[in-house]
Order: sequence, then structure tokens, then C-alpha cells
Amino acid sequence: MESTEVRLSVSRCLRALTASTDNADIIAALQTLRSYLDEGAESRSSSVQRAEFRRAHFTRTLQFLVSNIQADWFHSLTAAQRSELWDGLFLRGPPEQTLLVLMQGIGDLKAGTNLNHLVSIAERFLHSGRLADLLWSYCLGAGPSDSPQLRETLLGRIVALPDLTANKLHPHNKPLFLPQQYYPLLATEMLAALERTCQALRDGTDCSLTFVAQTLGKVCIQGHSGLVLAVMAPRLSVCTRSDMVWQRVCWKLLENVPQLCVESVLTGLVQAVTGPEAFGRIIGNLVSTNKKAQFVITHKLLLLQYKYETQVLRIILGYLAADRERRPLLVQVLRSLSQAWANPSAVKHTPLEQQLYVSKALLLSVSLLKDSELQELRSDLLQCMLGGMQSHLDSSVVRIRRMGMVVGECLSSRMNIGGTQLKFQYDQDEETRELLSLMTPSTADEAEAEPLNRVEESGETTLSPQKESSQNKSGPQPSKTDQDSDLDSDDELTPYDMSGDQEISKASPPRYLRDCLEILISSEDPERVELSLRVSEGLVRKNVFATREISVQMTKVLLHMEDKYSINSFLSLRQATMVALTVTDCIPVTQYLTTEFYSLNYSLRQRLDILEVLALAAQELSKPIAEKKDLCMSVPASTDLTPYPGDNPVHWRQEVEKRIQSKTRRLRKGATQPPAKATPNRYAPVAGYFFFPLLRNYDRPQVTFDLLGSDHLVLGRLIHTLGLFMHLAVNAPVAAQMGRALLDFVWAVRYHADQMVRRGVLFAVCSVFLSVNSQNLLVDLSDQLFETRIWLADVAEGDPDADCRSLAVQSLVLLDKSLKKQLQDQQALGLES
Amino acid sequence: MPKKNMTGKASPSHIMIPARSTHTPIHSIFSFYSDNSLHTRLLTRSMFRETGHLDVALHPYFDCPDPGMSRPAPSPFYTLRGAGAPLNTLHFSCHGGDSPLLFSGSGKGAIHIWNLNTRRAEKIVESHAGSSVIWVSTLQATSTLISQGRDMQVCLWDLSEGRREVVDSVWTGSVGFCQCSMLETSPRSYLLAFAGQQSEEIKIIELPSKTPVCTLVPDAKLGMVMCIKLWQPDSGPGPLLLAGYEDGSVLLWDVTQRSKLSQAKAHPEPVMCLTFDPKRLRGISGSSEKKLSSWMVDRQNNLQIQECVTLVNPGVSQLCIRGDGKLLASAGWDHRVRVFGWKKLRPLAVLQYHTDMVQSVAFSDHQDPKERLLAAGSKDQRISLWSIYNEGADTG
Repeated sequence: MESTEVRLSVSRCLRALTASTDNADIIAALQTLRSYLDEGAESRSSSVQRAEFRRAHFTRTLQFLVSNIQADWFHSLTAAQRSELWDGLFLRGPPEQTLLVLMQGIGDLKAGTNLNHLVSIAERFLHSGRLADLLWSYCLGAGPSDSPQLRETLLGRIVALPDLTANKLHPHNKPLFLPQQYYPLLATEMLAALERTCQALRDGTDCSLTFVAQTLGKVCIQGHSGLVLAVMAPRLSVCTRSDMVWQRVCWKLLENVPQLCVESVLTGLVQAVTGPEAFGRIIGNLVSTNKKAQFVITHKLLLLQYKYETQVLRIILGYLAADRERRPLLVQVLRSLSQAWANPSAVKHTPLEQQLYVSKALLLSVSLLKDSELQELRSDLLQCMLGGMQSHLDSSVVRIRRMGMVVGECLSSRMNIGGTQLKFQYDQDEETRELLSLMTPSTADEAEAEPLNRVEESGETTLSPQKESSQNKSGPQPSKTDQDSDLDSDDELTPYDMSGDQEISKASPPRYLRDCLEILISSEDPERVELSLRVSEGLVRKNVFATREISVQMTKVLLHMEDKYSINSFLSLRQATMVALTVTDCIPVTQYLTTEFYSLNYSLRQRLDILEVLALAAQELSKPIAEKKDLCMSVPASTDLTPYPGDNPVHWRQEVEKRIQSKTRRLRKGATQPPAKATPNRYAPVAGYFFFPLLRNYDRPQVTFDLLGSDHLVLGRLIHTLGLFMHLAVNAPVAAQMGRALLDFVWAVRYHADQMVRRGVLFAVCSVFLSVNSQNLLVDLSDQLFETRIWLADVAEGDPDADCRSLAVQSLVLLDKSLKKQLQDQQALGLES
Repeated sequence: MPKKNMTGKASPSHIMIPARSTHTPIHSIFSFYSDNSLHTRLLTRSMFRETGHLDVALHPYFDCPDPGMSRPAPSPFYTLRGAGAPLNTLHFSCHGGDSPLLFSGSGKGAIHIWNLNTRRAEKIVESHAGSSVIWVSTLQATSTLISQGRDMQVCLWDLSEGRREVVDSVWTGSVGFCQCSMLETSPRSYLLAFAGQQSEEIKIIELPSKTPVCTLVPDAKLGMVMCIKLWQPDSGPGPLLLAGYEDGSVLLWDVTQRSKLSQAKAHPEPVMCLTFDPKRLRGISGSSEKKLSSWMVDRQNNLQIQECVTLVNPGVSQLCIRGDGKLLASAGWDHRVRVFGWKKLRPLAVLQYHTDMVQSVAFSDHQDPKERLLAAGSKDQRISLWSIYNEGADTG
């Protein structure tokens, strides 16, 4: 009975609104409709009628109002009437229906004052906390028994409100609808709903968190987890600290998050909380009850993704370690981490950043384990350590080697293998320090620690000055002379001439190159050897003719020389002399060195030395002569430690950068600099002597030297060096031939497993494109260019090493540039003829 | 051996030959002995060479009138030769008695007592059964001489009225080169600190009663005791002891409490020598490396490392601060003595004369500041005397 009555009354009102022109009728109709929403005793309608209106007629009414917004009566209402009657209908009624109608209306209306009115109502709707009411109504289960489709639509509207409004309103969008404001608002509304839920639970009312959880999941999966959880996580962390009801609500909330969204919620949350304790309080033992959550936390976040900060790792592993139920998971995680770390294929093929991430996780989890658990895992860890160390130390990348050393040290010190532990020598840098610091548990995890602590700390600080003052009394006091001694300072004492105070050296340096050689060959006196080594470069450069007589012999002596007396900067001195020899007497020495490179019975170090000497000599030869006129004088004097340059190939790459820079045209006004004076390039005529002999024999493995096998360190360096020779041979006539030979050579190793080799290959290709002029490139190398392009594109896309990728892109750019230039030139030529 | 005894006995008669005899032609000296037999003559010649009187030389002392220019490096004021062995230690005694004296201990067990007025060895005491004398000192009140030899004995000598006899001796048991340190606590008694039989242990006894006061052994392994210095702080009750160890640490001990007060790692190499200025509570130590390291004893009796001075050549065998606290001298292994202003450790002079390691430096305790000398004893068997920075307050 009641329901028909309500229906009749509503249709009467709507008809009046459609047909009537009398203002009083319209106001009366609106008031009738409005009265169904009034709560309390003074209401004209019964609660049953109200419920019926809310259930069946509210949406219809609102839709009618929105569709008649352009009607005359709407515009004839006074502002007060409009906000009281018209707006009131929107702001008082069931929020979910209002929201749907509002969003529908905003989507349908054309731009204009009517739309603006709706938008302002939507703003007021959000401002007045109706979203919380909406969520809360679903929590109570009092919400309408809706279909899944309706619920999905509603969720979509709530979560995508910024997108919908932005699409409609374009530049007139309201600040409130921007994600930066809307999602924090949504978060506070969700918190409010949770707060009410807690209250209701305390009062003994049952609540359902499904809808809130669905909202949260949907927001997160749409990529707004950062904004939402930045607001929610701190509050939840504080609330759950002491309140069991809050904890249960949080756990329930996360349990109810749809499976699809669990990952995005968890990853957002783990980045938003401050510490493992807070994380544990919020999600409870979700990891052991929810399969998906377990997969995300124990596998995906640790082993598959690696973009997160160390703090995230701390939180995850700390969370796993914090509870007895989760500890088996920590052990399981450690197992899989150690396997991932020790996997030789992973060391080779995964990006360095990921390896660093896994190493961090491994160290953190090891530091969290108890000794008894370690005993259990001992054999696994030992296996991991031994295998992993080997594959890390085999790597030719310094950072990977260092990572292996640090992790090995930490593991061995933690495992206590028979009281011994590994100790490596490596240079400390930020990365190793960070890794080492992971072994000490961090104490300042929780920024929002209990306020009690702070009181204690401040109490301590007030105590300490007293201690100090009490100590002051004991101990002797310096006598007064100290205070007035400014008068008798040292200044009044005039110093004597102290120029005679020279360093005492027993032997005098050799004056002739032959003496020098003699000493280097036969002397057993460390001091004489050192002096000879220090002066040898100067002697070589000073006496060109004397040098030519003994250049090869001296090179041989230096190449085989060992640092028997641990002479300061021995390596760089020896290298400088060998470079001087190569520069002074180029052809015989390069012949000797390139032959020796492939001969038996040399250590890797010596072969690398050969390459470095050749590279440096080529560099020096290619420089204009004028720059180095005072070189002989300056070099013997410098005894300070110069870093041995051979250990990083960076300067070669810098060279390439420089070349690219120089190719870039810069438009600039003002006087141009006078052109540099032309000097003959000393390298161009001999470039072939440096280059071609090294291409021979590389595929003939020997007992001690297998270039294509295990000695990939040398291979990488060899290709780098060849690339450098190529690069320096720019403008030399032989460059085209060299380029062809080099492309042929590197083709075989272009997909080498070692990234240093791949980098070298890409560097060599870059230098080919830079040095061979574009015409030759197209004419002589055309058959290879196509394949090279495809290969480069492949590398640029898929190589695990970031350096390789960027180098490949760089070579592609160079290649395109050079081809374009050539084609343009040909067109220009064609036009002219 | 008989030759050496002969020298010892014969020396007083030669001491009296005046310095000007250098200018006497050699043949005239031989003519003085001409009526003796050939044997005597040869002996005499060997004696001359041994005691080296013919070598005594007077060096001109340069004083540059213009203080603005950097003055040329100074030359020795005088050289004392004839010790016949490397000189390990020097000690001045100039304030009492008639003539100022310089005591020197040699590597062959002889203690020379040089009269600084006549510049001759007034007395030569053969001691410690010919083993090296590493430390000599005198007591202020009496004419007692204390010497330490490498025969592990510390001997007290009575030298009054021409005597030269051992009054008492203490067995140290130390095989190292650590010099003793003495502190006169009252006119009658004094404390003697020396390295003990164990390599890390320091023993302190009261003399002349020979009552052991304490034995100081550090908890950590620091290696041998290398050098020690006893001193009496103005404010504290008991004496303190500074000790340098083989691992480069300097420790401050409280002798009455028998406890370590503080420790500082002054050098990476063994501490070869240290000296301390009780007025400024500041000391300095040298090592076998190129650095002198200075340190402070603060109010809490903590040793705090202060600035370092870098030398040109490594190795310092002794450091000495002048009585007025203005100069510091270092005896270098590079044959040179370096002089620094003590307050700021500003290098002032490099004294180059010796041809072998300088093993000892000492400033004289003359009452008149103008007479103050610096003495350096070297392995080249000579003692050089220098007169620098002793004319009033501001000139050298």
C-alpha cells in the first residue's frame, strides 16, 4: 500500500514539474520530494515511505531533475530555493545513487551554466563527506542489494572520477577533481569509513569491508596507490599500534581486496609504510593465508622486480622475520635468494641493478636469521657462496666482482666456518659500504617511534654535561705560560737557510740509456732499479738515435720486468717508458709487441699491458706534436701516484664522446677562433702496423691463451683497443680497409656472453662509423651494413646491459647520420650534373 | 786491547795541548818526541790518531747582520773529537761547579767528561765492561753520575775528588735500547724508570734505596718499550710517565695508581724517541718514518694527537726541547740536526755537519742564556757544538 502511495505521489510531483508554469506548484512539488529525504520526527512521511522512496524512486527523481535542468522553472528559482530544494535532493539522498546520476549528468550535459551547476554540486558532494557515507553504507550492508554490474559501475565511477571529469571539463576542471587532491580525499573518506566500522564493531554491530576493499584494490590497480596509501598507511600504522580492533579491521580489509588487485595494493603499501613493524601490523599474516600475497611478497618483489629502494627490502624481510608463523617463509626466501644469487647464468645475463638488488636482499635476510636457522641452512648457503663467488669473480665487470667479494665476506663472517672467514681486498665505495651496512640491523627504522623514548633520550643529554664538568676537576692543568705565550711565539726566531735540506739518495740515476738498460737487466739494488726506471722515459725521449738501437731489446726487458721491489707507481713508470719506446721507434717495437701478444707463456697481465701500451702510443702519435714539447721534462719529476689508466676503459669512451661533441654543429655569433695549425699526423702512416697484426691468430687457441674461450677479459680489451686504433685512424687512407676488417672481426663475437666483450664490440662499431668516411662506408661496406643495422637494433632493444644498449643506439644514430649525409651528397652531385 | 788502555792512561797529558797546536806543523810535534825510540814514536802516532787531538778545529761562527734575508745555514761552533766510538748519548751539566761539563756515552763503553772551557775531555771513564753506553745523566745535588749500558746495568758513579768508582748498580734485564728516565723527587731521593726484562714492561724504582715502586705492563700487545719519560705534573699528586712502544703507540701512565691513563697511536712505526714539555703539557715523538708527531695531555689526562711535522728524510733518533721552551732539536738518521720553534713547530734551521747518523742532541743548561749551546753526537764519532738562537730574545 505504502509503496503505491509513494509512487503516485512521486509521479504527481514529477508531472507537476513538467507541466506546471506556476512557481508555487513547482516549489510545492520539490518540497514534497525533498520531504522524503528528511529524517527525524518533524518529517511529513513515515519511515517506510522514506525507505521506499530511497529504494525505488530517488534515482528516477534525480535523473528527471538533471534532464530538466534547462527548464524555465529551474532558472526562475531563487538561489536560496535552488540550493535548499534542488541541490538538497542531491546532497541528502542515498549517496551511491547521487554519484551515479551526477557522473551520468556531467557526462551527458553540454558545456554551459547547467554543467557548471552540476559540477559545483559534485564538488559539494565530495566536500561534505558523502563519499564516506557511501562507503559506510556499504560497510553496514544496508546499501541496496545491488547487482555485480551496478557495483562495478559504481566502483568505476568512484575510482575514475578524476579521469571522467578531466575528459569532460578539459581546462575548466576543478582542482578538487585533480588526482593530487581527489585521491587523498578518497583515502581520508576510506579511513573515515574504517573508523566508523571500528566504532560499530565495538558497539557489537557486524560490518562488511568488501566494498571498501574493492575500492582500495581498484584505486591501486589503476595506479594511484602512491597517493592513496601515502595518506592511509601512516594513519593505519598509528591506529594499529595499540588498538586490536583497528588491527582486525585492517587485516579484514586486506583479506577482502580482490585477488586481481592484491599485488598493486601490497606493492603500494610496502612503499608507503615506514618500517616492517608497521607493515606487519597492517597486513597481519596475510602472507601465509593468501597465496597471491605470498607470491608477491616472497617472490615477485624480491626476485622479479628490482626497482625498489633498499628500505622496501628491509620492510619485506623484516616483516617476514618478525613473526613465528612467517619465519619459515623467510628461510624459504633465503633459499631462493641464494639460488638466484649464485646462478651463473643470472650473473651473466641479468642487469647489474637486479644483481645488486638480489645481493642486498640476500644480505638482509642473512642478517635477520638466527644462528640456529643458519645452521639448518648451512649447506645451502655454503653451496651458494662457493658457486656464486666463483661466477661473480669470473665476471669481467668490476662492480659484479666487487659485489661478489662483499657478499662472500658477509656470508662467511655470518656463517662462522670453522672460525675462518673470507677477506678480500677491494676499494670501498658507496655501493660496497651500503652492502656492508646491510649486515648491521638498522635501529632507526621507525621514525614515529613511541614518544616515551624521546623523553628518555633528552634526559640523558641533560645528564652528560654534568659528567663532563666533574671530570674537569681531575688532571693536571697546563700552566699559565700557554695563555700569554702569544708574545713569545716562534715568529721572533728567524729561520736559517734550509735549502740544503734535500732528500738523501745513495745512488745517482743513470745518465745514458745503455746504462739504464744494463741496470734494469742485471742490477739487484732496488734503489738503482727504481732510479733507472724513473729516468728511463726521459732518456728514451731525449736520445732518439740511441733509442732506435736498443728499442726492441728494452721493450722486451720492460715487458718481462716484475715489480720485485714494490716500487712506487711501478706500473705507470714501466708503461710510460714502453709507450715512449713505441712512439720513438714505432715500427720495430709494434712488430715485436703485436707478435708477442699471441705468443706462448705470457700472463694475462702482460698481454693486457701490450694492448695498453699500443693504445697509448697510438693516442700519442695521433696528437699534434706541438702539445708535448715539454713532456720529457715533466714526466721524470712527477713521482706521485698516478692512477694506472689501464684498469678502466672509460677514457676511450670519453674520447668517443668528444668526437660526437665535435661533430655537433653549434651556431654562435662572434669572432671565430683562428684555425689550428696543421701538423702532420704521425699515426696515419703507421696505423696498419698497430692494427692488422692483432687481427691474426685470434682464433688459434694455445695452451696458455684461449682468446675465444675463457680469456674473454683479454678479448674485450683487444676489441676495445682495435676500436681505438680505428678511431684514431680517422682520415687515414687505410681507414676503410681497417673498418672492413674490424667489422668482419667483431661479427663473430657480437653476441658474446660477456658484457665487456659486447661493449668492446659496440665501441669498435661506433669507431668504424666515426672514422670511415661516409662514401667508403656505403661503397665498401654496403653488404655488411644491412646486417649490422639489424643487429644493432636488436641490441639496442634487448641487451641486459645498459651501457651496451646506449652504445648501440649511439652507433645507430651515427650510421644513419653518415648514410643520410652520403645520400644527400649524391643527390647534390646528381643535381649539379 | 792494550793499546786502548794505553790511550786511556796517556790521554790526560795530551788533553793539555792547547787548541792552537793545530797550527803547529806536524814535524815539530814529532821533533818533540824525537829523542824517543821508533817504537814510541809509532805508538804516539797511533795515539794521536786515536784521540785525535790534531784534528781539533775551530770553526768560524758566521753571524749575518741582516735579519731580513734568510741567513746562510749555520756552522758548528766547535767540534769535539776523539771519542773513538759512535756517540750514543749526551748530557750537559753547566749550572753548578766551576766549569761547564758535557758528558757523552760512547759505543765502546767510555764516558767522556768534556770541559767546555778547555774543550778537552777532562776525564774518561771506562764503564759497563766495554759495552755500549746508552744513557748518562747527573744528579743535581751531588756529583753523582748515572750511566746505563747495554750490559743491562745502570751504574751510579762517584766522581768527586778525582774518584771514578761505581757506588751502586741496578740490573735492568732489558736487552733493548730504551733509555732510562730519572726524576728527582727530593734532594735525597729520586725515581728511576727503565725498561724491564719483559719486552713490554717498565720498572720504576726509588734510588738510592733501590725500593721498587711499581711495574707497568700494558694490557694490549704493544711490542717493546722504546722510550720513556718521567715527569711531575704541577697539579697532580704523583709523577706520570710517558712511554713510546714498538707499535707506534704513546701511553700515559700514572705511577702512583699504576694504571694507564690514556693511549694514542702516534706513529705507524715504532716510536724511536719522545720528549715532553711539562709547562705546556705538550710533547712530541719521532719514529723511523718521515714524521714527527706532537701531542697534548689534556685536562682529563687524555693524550690528543696534534699536528705533524714532515721531515725531508725519515728517521729520528732523539728529540730535545731547550730549557726555555722555545726550541726543539731533532737528531736525524740523515746526518742532520733540525731545529724547530717549539711553539708552532716551525722549521728554523738544518744543521749539516756530520757524516753519519746523529744519535743524540742536547741543549745546555747554562744559566746565562747567551752561553747556551746545542750539542749533537753522531755515529761518526764526533760531537758538534752549535751556538744558535741564544742571543737575547729575538736574534739568533
